[in-house]
Amino acid sequence: MVLGIDFVKKFEKTKVMKRLALMLIGFAGFSTVYTSCTKDPINNLSADESRIYITNHDSTVNFTNYKTYSISDSVAVIENGKSTRELTDVGQAYIDAVKKYMDQAGYQMVSKSASPDLGVDVNHIINTTTGVISYGDYWGNYGGYWDPYYWGYPDYRYYIPYAYSVYQIKEGAMSVDLLDLKNASSDHKINIIWTGLIRGSGIFTTSVADAQVKALFDQSSYLKH
Amino acid sequence: MKKIKKLFAVCVLICCAFSAKAQQGTLKLGLNYNYSFPMSGFKNDLISNNSPRGFMGELMYSFDNQLSGGLLFGFQDYYQKYPRALYHLSSTQDISAVLSNSIQTTPVLLKAKYFITPSSYLKPYVSLAAGANIIDFKQYFGEFGNSETNVGFRAQGGLGVLIPFKKTSPSGFNIGASYDYAPYKKNGYKDLNSVNLQAGVVIELK
Repeated sequence: MVLGIDFVKKFEKTKVMKRLALMLIGFAGFSTVYTSCTKDPINNLSADESRIYITNHDSTVNFTNYKTYSISDSVAVIENGKSTRELTDVGQAYIDAVKKYMDQAGYQMVSKSASPDLGVDVNHIINTTTGVISYGDYWGNYGGYWDPYYWGYPDYRYYIPYAYSVYQIKEGAMSVDLLDLKNASSDHKINIIWTGLIRGSGIFTTSVADAQVKALFDQSSYLKH
Repeated sequence: MKKIKKLFAVCVLICCAFSAKAQQGTLKLGLNYNYSFPMSGFKNDLISNNSPRGFMGELMYSFDNQLSGGLLFGFQDYYQKYPRALYHLSSTQDISAVLSNSIQTTPVLLKAKYFITPSSYLKPYVSLAAGANIIDFKQYFGEFGNSETNVGFRAQGGLGVLIPFKKTSPSGFNIGASYDYAPYKKNGYKDLNSVNLQAGVVIELK
């Protein structure tokens, strides 16, 4: 009789253990599904797919009224609200690409002294302290990055008639700006009439510069003559 | 919204009524792999890809051999990457990007299950559940994204069949399907409705 009870107890114990084991296996399996089978969108992107191209423009401007342009001979490196000017191979590649696509859009490059209709700035934006800068911050000190004197209008200030949605820039970006020099004298300010921003992985190499700038111009068909 | 509240109230009532009525019963744990098909607004506006990444579990108390009530929990991961396209953010601002939507849903529902022919070997059942749906929504332009977590309502109507391991066994294999109604009124989206297929096991705990 005692043996019988022991047997039943042992049998019950085995059943419980079996169930517990099954439960543990089940939970382990589902935990694996939970943790490892969630697709990470960032890891699922190639360098090309990681990049974004943002353009904005002054909707009151008719770009066909502008025929000539001059482009800055260096790149403004903007970091934490301060800037330096430099010309690296990458910067030169971006400047060359902007020239190429401005020419293809129907604009004629002239020297800065030949009263160009448009000024073109190329910028490399870096942020290292706060981890976040918005376009609003970027524009706040534009006169500090590109002194209006550079374009021959030392007493003028810059003005941007449109606002970007706020985008967080955590790593770095390249931007290209078109400045209205044609009407600077009559407006007593330098209007920024088009901006293009490139962000994403692997954009600071010479081999990809052309494709990045092309993307900006491709999505801005209103620039073409 | 009224309908949702009514449905939820019915589920709560069913579970409470059976709890009160039951003198004794058994507790069963169900663990199921879940394959999900986004439907309606979910499919059209957010993610059209089916999701093979999910599970649903349930802890059910059997009040008698036909009715049981308890808790349903689960997880499903939905993901879709759209080819590069130009999006107009405003009348003057455009963004060219590869858009990725990533959504994880975690339902925690009260569930009632009714076995139609409890004495037969194969035990077909219908079920009704309602409760909370924890939604983690991430949207990326390229590698730059935002994430947002919300808790919404979710209701589920289901049917399936329990295949006992042995003729007299209370445990067995489960095969089922459900339609999940999950409103999601954020950023112009409508819902995260889905059809789900489940397969797994049901184990009697006590």
